[in-house]
Amino acid sequence: FSSLIQSVAGKAVIEEEDLAPALKGLKDRLLVKNVAQEITDELSSSVATSLVGKKMASFTRISTTVQKAMEEALVRILTPKRSIDILRDVHAAKEQGRPYVVVFCGVNGVGKSTNLAKVGYWLMQHNVSVMMAACDTFRSGAVEQLRTHANRLQISLFQRGYEKDPALVAKEAIREAIMNKIDVVLVDTAGRMQDNEPLMRALAKLVHMNNPDLVLFVGEALVGNDGVDQLMKFNQKLVDLSTSATPRTIDGILLTKFDTVDDKVGAALSMVYKSGAPIMFLGCGQTYTDLKKLNVKSIIKSLLS
Amino acid sequence: MVLTELGGQISSALQKMSNVTVIDQKALQECINEINRALLQADVSFKLVQTLATNIKKTVNPDDLAAGHNKRKIMQQAVFNELCGLLDPGKPSYTPKKGKQCVVMFVGLQGSGKTTTCTKYAQYYRKKGFKPSLVCADTFRAGAFDQLKQNATKANIPFFGSYTETDPVAIAQTGVENFKKENSDLIIVDTSGRHKQEASLFEEMRQVSEVTKPDLIIFVMDSSIGQAAFDQAQAFKQSVPVGAVIITKMDGHAKGGGALSAVAATKSPVIFLGTGEHMDEFELFDVKPFVSRLLGMGDWSGFMDK
Ligand SMILES: Nc1nc2c(ncn2[C@@H]2O[C@H](COP(=O)(O)OP(=O)(O)OP(=O)(O)O)[C@@H](O)[C@H]2O)c(=O)[nH]1
Ligand SMILES: Nc1nc2c(ncn2[C@@H]2O[C@H](COP(=O)(O)OP(=O)(O)OP(=O)(O)O)[C@@H](O)[C@H]2O)c(=O)[nH]1
Ligand SMILES: [Mg+2]
Ligand SMILES: [Mg+2]
Repeated sequence: FSSLIQSVAGKAVIEEEDLAPALKGLKDRLLVKNVAQEITDELSSSVATSLVGKKMASFTRISTTVQKAMEEALVRILTPKRSIDILRDVHAAKEQGRPYVVVFCGVNGVGKSTNLAKVGYWLMQHNVSVMMAACDTFRSGAVEQLRTHANRLQISLFQRGYEKDPALVAKEAIREAIMNKIDVVLVDTAGRMQDNEPLMRALAKLVHMNNPDLVLFVGEALVGNDGVDQLMKFNQKLVDLSTSATPRTIDGILLTKFDTVDDKVGAALSMVYKSGAPIMFLGCGQTYTDLKKLNVKSIIKSLLS
Repeated sequence: MVLTELGGQISSALQKMSNVTVIDQKALQECINEINRALLQADVSFKLVQTLATNIKKTVNPDDLAAGHNKRKIMQQAVFNELCGLLDPGKPSYTPKKGKQCVVMFVGLQGSGKTTTCTKYAQYYRKKGFKPSLVCADTFRAGAFDQLKQNATKANIPFFGSYTETDPVAIAQTGVENFKKENSDLIIVDTSGRHKQEASLFEEMRQVSEVTKPDLIIFVMDSSIGQAAFDQAQAFKQSVPVGAVIITKMDGHAKGGGALSAVAATKSPVIFLGTGEHMDEFELFDVKPFVSRLLGMGDWSGFMDK
């Protein structure tokens, strides 16, 4: 560690090799925190670029300077560029006489259905009426899972059992929601691997046919380097496999299982860095109230500690 | 297969090295750095990667890499051996024997694939002439019993569970007792997903294990898991005697290094791979071919029986 606190007091301008040991230390720390490998590389070279040639304040440690530059970069990345106010948009849709529709998608087992229920609960707390649409018509028990949540929360459930075309089930659900003047439809979908072409095509069809207000990508904080690939491919395949002239992409991220990773919060950074999509919710437990907003400061603290 | 990319990277690192005529410490270090990068990108735990690098440096003497020796082969053998070592705890796992009653309990993180894998496992052994049965000791997850029930019904395997009993320990005990009376020789107990941060969940797992006295506890792990793998796997092992690992979702794009770390943490062998959502998408695991595949095969296959 001592190499990181070498002082360059008296040196006028920062050169690349002055930064190397401090950057290596910082990079290793980010890797341990589960930030994807390619992102630690990109981040550290952008920090280097921002510092090389700069004048060094006297009696400042190089490690402090590097840490500060990294912190600034992280704030920039994690602060959402586009913000979405769901409740405002729900009311806007209501005024147009239609329900606000959210599609939850992602790979298998990440927590789509559970966190859909949490979002349902959150909406109800804001006096918004909700319907769940059981459009995972594949996985055993998926419909009953959603029904259990719907019963517990007293939310209405739209389901057509198994083996139906999920795109059509969603369409019928929305039609029913319009008739019953329901404010929000939460569409559950089956988990799928990002490289599974037929299943990705089916998702693109569901999105195209129903043109939801919000396409949420659900990813888990446990995921390693694959997280970025999942998100980027879901995004890309929604474009490539859509029959629409103006295809939709991922609007936001719901990051789950945040309670299982301690300070290894790197997945949050990796996903936002690569996609630019905002993290709209954090899932941090298995009960309905375990849904939080992202706290940029605390994420950065975990990453750099 | 998902792991070939890692293999490709390591192979190219080695290729670069073999293009250098004089191998000195620096060239060796550069090669090791590239191998490290590849392993980190595959989600192998940071600590393990460092150990691996140290070991390789220890086993490979740069003098051996001087002219006249096959440098590439020496490095390849070293990397291959280290990765095998990581996956091979040195002792085989318990395997069920036909006719002798045995209980197998599945544990793991939330959503890792336990319930799906339970039925795959049952079906695999039924094909070998066993009389398997399934017990649903997950009373927590919404729809858990329906999920197991529907899978078991499709696969035609007897199952036990309850919609009203809320104590997983009680269900597990009754279920195992029932199937023992019915002469099932492979009683499989599915449990809820859990994580180390919640002590009460681990306590529940210990209790289920106490009343069912499993002959084998299988830790089910998702192949896409990152740096949290080692700590979580280790915590499971410290709480119950995990004896084997199954890695799921190998049909995805993940490189599986997190699972590698889990093996190191539990000191238990991987026995099967899950390769899809369908019940027949299930493969036996074997260390050497797996590592060869991880390294992208090619001329690696020559090391397999050494
Ligand atoms: N600890 C923790 N567990 C969670 C969280 N969110 C979901 N889970 C658990 O993760 C498991 C999988 O959740 P599901 O909601 O069924 O996941 P899914 O993405 O719908 O799964 P598929 O539909 O099968 O692809 C369940 O055991 C949930 O209780 C979370 O934020 N923290
Ligand atoms: N693609 C793929 N999906 C799998 C595989 N194994 C399981 N799954 C899927 O992963 C998701 C979660 O599987 P489950 O069996 O419900 O996982 P679990 O560990 O029982 O989950 P909890 O009980 O909530 O902790 C489901 O959508 C399964 O269909 C696999 O090998 N490949
Ligand atoms: Mg689901
Ligand atoms: Mg389960």
